[in-house]
Amino acid sequence: MKTKVYFFLMLALSLAMIHCKRNTGNNAQKKMAVVISTLNNPWFVVLGESAAERARELGYEATIFDSQNNTSKEAEHFENLIAAGYDAILFNPTDSEGSVSNVKRAQQAGLPTFCMDREINALNVATSQITSDNFTGCVELGEYFVRTLNKKGKYVELLGLVGDNNTWNRSKGFHSVVDQFPALEMVAQQSADFDRSKAMEVLESVLQSNPDIDAVFCGNDAMAMGAYQALVAAGKADSVHVFGFDGAKDVMDAIKDGKITATAMQSPKAMARTAAELAHAYFEGERQFTQKTPLQVKVVTQQNIDRFGAYGSDN
Amino acid sequence: MNKVFKYGLMTILVALALYNAVRIKPLNEVKKKQDTQLFDAKAYAADFMANKIESLPALQVDSFLEHLGNNPTAYAQEHGKKLGISDAYHFIIEGKGSVSAIEEEYIVLGLGDGSSVAIATDFIFGNAIRDGSGMAHIDDHQNTMDFNSISVELNNQVRETIVPLLRDKATMGSTLYFKGAVTIAIDQPNPSEIKIIPLRIQIINEP
Repeated sequence: MKTKVYFFLMLALSLAMIHCKRNTGNNAQKKMAVVISTLNNPWFVVLGESAAERARELGYEATIFDSQNNTSKEAEHFENLIAAGYDAILFNPTDSEGSVSNVKRAQQAGLPTFCMDREINALNVATSQITSDNFTGCVELGEYFVRTLNKKGKYVELLGLVGDNNTWNRSKGFHSVVDQFPALEMVAQQSADFDRSKAMEVLESVLQSNPDIDAVFCGNDAMAMGAYQALVAAGKADSVHVFGFDGAKDVMDAIKDGKITATAMQSPKAMARTAAELAHAYFEGERQFTQKTPLQVKVVTQQNIDRFGAYGSDN
Repeated sequence: MNKVFKYGLMTILVALALYNAVRIKPLNEVKKKQDTQLFDAKAYAADFMANKIESLPALQVDSFLEHLGNNPTAYAQEHGKKLGISDAYHFIIEGKGSVSAIEEEYIVLGLGDGSSVAIATDFIFGNAIRDGSGMAHIDDHQNTMDFNSISVELNNQVRETIVPLLRDKATMGSTLYFKGAVTIAIDQPNPSEIKIIPLRIQIINEP
């Protein structure tokens, strides 16, 4: 009788220990994939690392994948991470249209996807999308642009990737303001793919036919730095205003030094952390998510730069 | 005879299957249908401005200014509207005032208690109308640009229909009723710099 009681006690204890181990190890067993459009741009590196860091803080395994601005590469990542048994994807899409099929594939495999920074053109495919309010940021930047140029002058616009909604949300926000002032003339509008070197090349070429510009509006900070380099090489850095978008560290430093006129601060850290926290909420049982959550973007100038740190961190 | 019947029946069945499997439509008809499915932000904004402004609930301007001066964060959270994660809150307000200054970008109204507000006549931009009124929701739009176009078109409507009337009728000393949209940055609220985008203007008294 005594042996029987002892046996059942041991059995109950063992079962309890197994149950405890399962509970404490629940999050550690789950894996989050952080798929980033490109790690060639420091802004996206911050986005990816912040997402992975927050996921690890919450007790998950996190791995970063680089899509190298290529939707085929991105599709490969999705196939691999579905096969590898990942549990959620924190996703920065390469293309608002081209990335939809990848997110659909993940949805069919039962994986929740949380888009960061860039949206996909589909509702109810991603679990939730956390994006910068690019349009409104560029409306405010456009107002500052108009006032800086006293409502007149010639300017160049450098666009980002043409397949990315952010490119057009920024451009349309900017033009919704600037086009109301007929004395502001856009002499060239060209894509430089959000790339610093390409922006430098494009602006060097534009300056040959339009040497008398007053400003350059760039769809991101990497292109603003490239444009500034082109202006330095042409001896026009002091007379031409450069406007960027992102709040990257080198541009924030350049604004302090008076080299770049303004940028719009979006916070990759806040977006990434929010995405990881939403994925965590999903694992905790939450299923009601807003489809899109825009994050405010603020204009940074020499007058207010002391209130901001790079990449949206607090000063 | 049996064979003829068998093959005839099979032919009819195959023809029926093919007929139901394939639909041929003129390309221009399909394109026309797709165009009508595109979101028409201009029409949406025009309908709102023509039919919804009068009944749009609004806060009284004097109470709005008083509360904003006391506890702006609590007031904004209770009465304002915002989009996503943001410090910018939007409101619809209304009131009466007399024109005390006509400037390049504003018409300033004295409210009778020593305070004043500026009605914008230039730089009509942003989302104050769309988000303050709550007339549109971002989750209803597959492409966020459609949602943003609503603000552009609402602001165009104000620029084209309300501002010319205001510029034309508002003279120094005249009293007018206004209903408008306003945005407050709650991290740095400054009631003295409030700029109201006009939605409805009525001249009550001329000097």
